[in-house]
Amino acid sequence: MEKETLYTERLNRIQKTISLSTVDRLPVAYAGTAFSPRYMGMSMAEFCEDGEGAVNVTLAAMDRLSGFGELDAINQPVVGRMTPRLSFAWLSRVSVPGKELPPDNLWQVVEAEMMKKDEYDTILKKGWNTYLMEFLPRVIDQDEFNTFLEWVMLNQERTLGRYKDHGYVAISDALPAIIPFEYLSGGRSMSKFFFDLYRMPDKVEAVMKQMFSETLDQIRAAVPRPGINGAWVGGWRSASAMVAPKLWDRFVWPYMLEVVEVLVEKGFTPVLHWDQDWTRDLIRLQELPAKKCILNPDGMTDLTAFKKLVGDRMAVMGDVPSALLSAGTPEDVDIYVKERVDLFQGTGLILCPGCDAPINAKPENMEAFIKAASVHGSSK
Amino acid sequence: MNEELSKSLSDLNEDQVLNLVKKALDDGAGTMDILSACRAGMTQIGKRYESGEYYVSDLIMAGEIFKQAVQLLGGDAQKNAGGLRDKVVVGTVKGDVHDIGKDLVVGMLRANGYDVIDLGVDVPADVFIDTLEQSGARILGLSGLLTVAYDSMKDTMNRLTTKGLRTSIKVMVGGGAMTDKVREYIGADAMGADAQAAVSICDRWTTEV
Repeated sequence: MEKETLYTERLNRIQKTISLSTVDRLPVAYAGTAFSPRYMGMSMAEFCEDGEGAVNVTLAAMDRLSGFGELDAINQPVVGRMTPRLSFAWLSRVSVPGKELPPDNLWQVVEAEMMKKDEYDTILKKGWNTYLMEFLPRVIDQDEFNTFLEWVMLNQERTLGRYKDHGYVAISDALPAIIPFEYLSGGRSMSKFFFDLYRMPDKVEAVMKQMFSETLDQIRAAVPRPGINGAWVGGWRSASAMVAPKLWDRFVWPYMLEVVEVLVEKGFTPVLHWDQDWTRDLIRLQELPAKKCILNPDGMTDLTAFKKLVGDRMAVMGDVPSALLSAGTPEDVDIYVKERVDLFQGTGLILCPGCDAPINAKPENMEAFIKAASVHGSSK
Repeated sequence: MNEELSKSLSDLNEDQVLNLVKKALDDGAGTMDILSACRAGMTQIGKRYESGEYYVSDLIMAGEIFKQAVQLLGGDAQKNAGGLRDKVVVGTVKGDVHDIGKDLVVGMLRANGYDVIDLGVDVPADVFIDTLEQSGARILGLSGLLTVAYDSMKDTMNRLTTKGLRTSIKVMVGGGAMTDKVREYIGADAMGADAQAAVSICDRWTTEV
């Protein structure tokens, strides 16, 4: 089949899944940013240094995995270098393979208090985006970041087109939408930020509101492109298992809810990339627009509870755990995928590694995932 | 005072805890009595966590309050006051620099009276082995957030075996993506899903011993 026809067919399958309509088989998506270079024999140093090479090796890994079954999409397409994005999302320094780390190690986010407590007032005074531009040189070299941004601006559309040319749908291909909680817990460091939530909640809330209004302005100004238009709404330290209910209800959920509503209004598909365990608060997902969002958990959130509470309102993309892919066997992976397929009964599920298949996922497990997804996902 | 101090800590009332500790010191209360009241508060915190009332953020805040209280008593109050429980060696394994989970475990173990030797992050297997041999500790806690930590943990287990220490040392593992299946792969004795679980595991082992 022509790649363009294949792409259209896959796109329709994913769109139907999001709207919980019947599909011929469950879609299968790839997520393995650090797995791709290891699988294809590229060093992590080269992957981190060469933006175009990172895209090439991701597509090569996907093409190779496609030999084991159906592969419709990639969750988060690799577009250029990875580590500058991480510095930006975490407001933290990132140790890079080939620089601070041995050439074939995984990059690592360095947990440190990069933002001082008194800078909350600076954010209130100057505004979030102005403050951010002043802050970023603390966590990433300014020239490096500018070069990265320039590359992305020049090459983003072309690169996304390359996934399409290979017949793959890029799901989270639109702007990321990160709530203030995650930025601040990165910049302040998690422990210190949590202390702030207990000690100076009103100040933190005022800062969050300032940050969030600017984030929403950016989303409102963004232009959706054809396709899924997935906007990555990340949550990791804001997970229910991490945050006391009274804090979560005040500092997490209102922002999640509003960002989703604004994204949907603009025609984006919010992809709730939620790591860790969010089971406690799954019922809140009933407040989100029905059949417009994707929950993208990592294997820690209870999907049986999800199915019961919001299975008629929302699709899931996931959630084969990293631990299973790195320490399990192909048989374990097959059993896990089958259980997920059985739970979702024919729609509402895009089979995908949870979070991101890790660097040390066993190749035979990733291949077993693609095979199991194709075999079991087609049988319902 | 003791009951009020324990309750204030258990309720995460930071200012009240610190004021009560200062007042107790001014009133001439013994360091051990104050410390015991704080530890009782931390035990309550653990119970409230296990019952689902408290979450990780509460444990982190409780650990911070406890740390400040101990500082008011003098930096080495826990050791000087006596009554420390068994030694536990803890560290994040080679190849992983994440310390949040490890620090939380260290804090909770210390708050529960354990004599913790914290080796930090990116710790090679040899350092764990040397520390166990030198300290005489019989419990080892290996932490790691990344899946690449699994093989470092396994390597540490192999070194324990090679050194003839495997049967005399109990090993618990924990971290972001830890599962019992992974514990089996590593060959550890126990897996702790969170910091409070690490305390429960140590309590069980020290009771057995």
